[in-house]
Amino acid sequence: MFKDRIHYPGRLVADVMSTIARCGVTLILYSYIFKNRNNDINGITFQVAAWSMFLYFAFMNLRLRYLATTIMDNVKSGTVENLFAKPVNYLMYRIWWQIGQGLYSFLIVLIFGSVALWFFVGIPDTMSSAFFIVTLAIVFLLSILLSIGIYAAVGLLAFWIEDIKPLFWIIDKSVMILGGSYLPVALFPTLIYSIAVWSPFGASQFITHTVYESWKTNYLEMLGIQAAWIIIFFILVAIMFKKAHKRVSVNGG
Amino acid sequence: MDPIIRVSGLSKIFSFPVKKEGVGFFRNLFEPEIREVKAVDNVSFTVKAGERIAFIGPNGAGKSTTIKMLTGILFPTSGSITVLGLDPSKDRKRLAYQIGTVFGQRSQLFPNLPLMDSFEFFGVMYDLSKEEIKRRSAELVEQFNLSDFIDQPVRKLSLGQRMRAEVAASLIHKPKIIFLDEPTIGLDVVAKKAFRELLIAINQKENTTIFLTSHDVGDIESLCERTVVINYGNIVADMATSELSTSYVHEKYIDLILEKELMEYPTLPEGITYVSQESGKVTLSVDLHAYSVSDALQKVLPFFSVADINVYTVDLETVIREMYETTKVSR
Repeated sequence: MFKDRIHYPGRLVADVMSTIARCGVTLILYSYIFKNRNNDINGITFQVAAWSMFLYFAFMNLRLRYLATTIMDNVKSGTVENLFAKPVNYLMYRIWWQIGQGLYSFLIVLIFGSVALWFFVGIPDTMSSAFFIVTLAIVFLLSILLSIGIYAAVGLLAFWIEDIKPLFWIIDKSVMILGGSYLPVALFPTLIYSIAVWSPFGASQFITHTVYESWKTNYLEMLGIQAAWIIIFFILVAIMFKKAHKRVSVNGG
Repeated sequence: MDPIIRVSGLSKIFSFPVKKEGVGFFRNLFEPEIREVKAVDNVSFTVKAGERIAFIGPNGAGKSTTIKMLTGILFPTSGSITVLGLDPSKDRKRLAYQIGTVFGQRSQLFPNLPLMDSFEFFGVMYDLSKEEIKRRSAELVEQFNLSDFIDQPVRKLSLGQRMRAEVAASLIHKPKIIFLDEPTIGLDVVAKKAFRELLIAINQKENTTIFLTSHDVGDIESLCERTVVINYGNIVADMATSELSTSYVHEKYIDLILEKELMEYPTLPEGITYVSQESGKVTLSVDLHAYSVSDALQKVLPFFSVADINVYTVDLETVIREMYETTKVSR
């Protein structure tokens, strides 16, 4: 699946470097802010904030967001017909393809980024327990499933409205903001924090919550919220996909 | 021999919203006017195993829509389709294991990967074992002469090379039928000839049924034994390709090479007309409803001093053009 991605190592390196640059610049800025606040804002330290944001950036390297735009491109260009003529489920094919596309850069960013962060800021106490590893694995899998559900639903809308870019932009930015890419979620005001927790966009990035002290007390509730959204989105996607195939109307056909 | 494709009363209607003039944005959004276009209208035909069939028609005639319904990509509005005993709209995946598709304007190969990787990928997709993929790929590489560029990324291939590769990839699982939608579009004359020869070889060697749409008369003439003509969603002709000219165009041309130039051209009997008058040569058109060729010659030869005679039928392109125009008028 990821052969296509690694055939040109230069492209892979560029992807990884771009993530490191974006994450690095954000962390440098936050390091100054935390320094000016005696390394404590809203009860969290720079070390915790840095790992939270890093987990967001590493997860985004899975490139699951592009599931939506790839489906839209397939619908608009008509290449969707090539896949509907094959003995595969179109949606499953697109999902696995997307995972394959992002897996290498995700692993590279995760491994090298973790080592670098460990070296530069150290590891918070919350991350040095078996509980963290186990729940991180669970929330990671659920975050993948929920992201797939959200972006598949947005992508499948292309069968009705063709150009999903405006909607994709709104949802993608909601995921970025509520997921904690610009501001660690622990620093959100109460209302925004509630939206981040209860909306599917924030819930798809619960991986960023795992480094906080509160995770130990909130994890069951958060995993439950993720599971509920996954069920809702998977039902929605299943219904949409069934109807979408009947709406295929290939250009030039 | 039982048909492997049965199409009966097949219709496809596309509907789309149209903006109503003088009506507000929200009215247009929630209550748009729905316009319908009947792309395929009550089409019926059958295809036997091993046939090489051309499905032709002008742009927008409904040929690609029909092919896409036969392969399960589009759902028919009404009518029934059976391909290899399966209903494409209900058994799309099972049918896909037994058919191959090539859409000339859309590549199914991976542009960034070497061609061999696409073969392997499709082999896995069709549940072939590693050994089968290896063996079949080697067969196709040899048959389609792909060895020179099998390790090159697909995007670096010429169009002719890519089209050969497209067909080869679609045959990885030895399909019983291959559907080709305008496969020779953009190819030069040499590549087209090679391409047609390959398809005939596949048809003869593996008894693969070839179902092709094309605007290229050469494809139809040299590749297909049978031609179905569709226009405005209706089948307007279904016959052996060799009979197309005689059945549809009831005229023959006669070139008369003259021994000496004429100062004045004689008036011809009704049913025979001048097509061209050049120095030393006249071309006549004979209405076969009025005369046989020999009768026509007997009528016109006394008027001319002839050095040589050439009798021929109109070319297939003219026949097809005539057919499209006639069916357009009669509609």
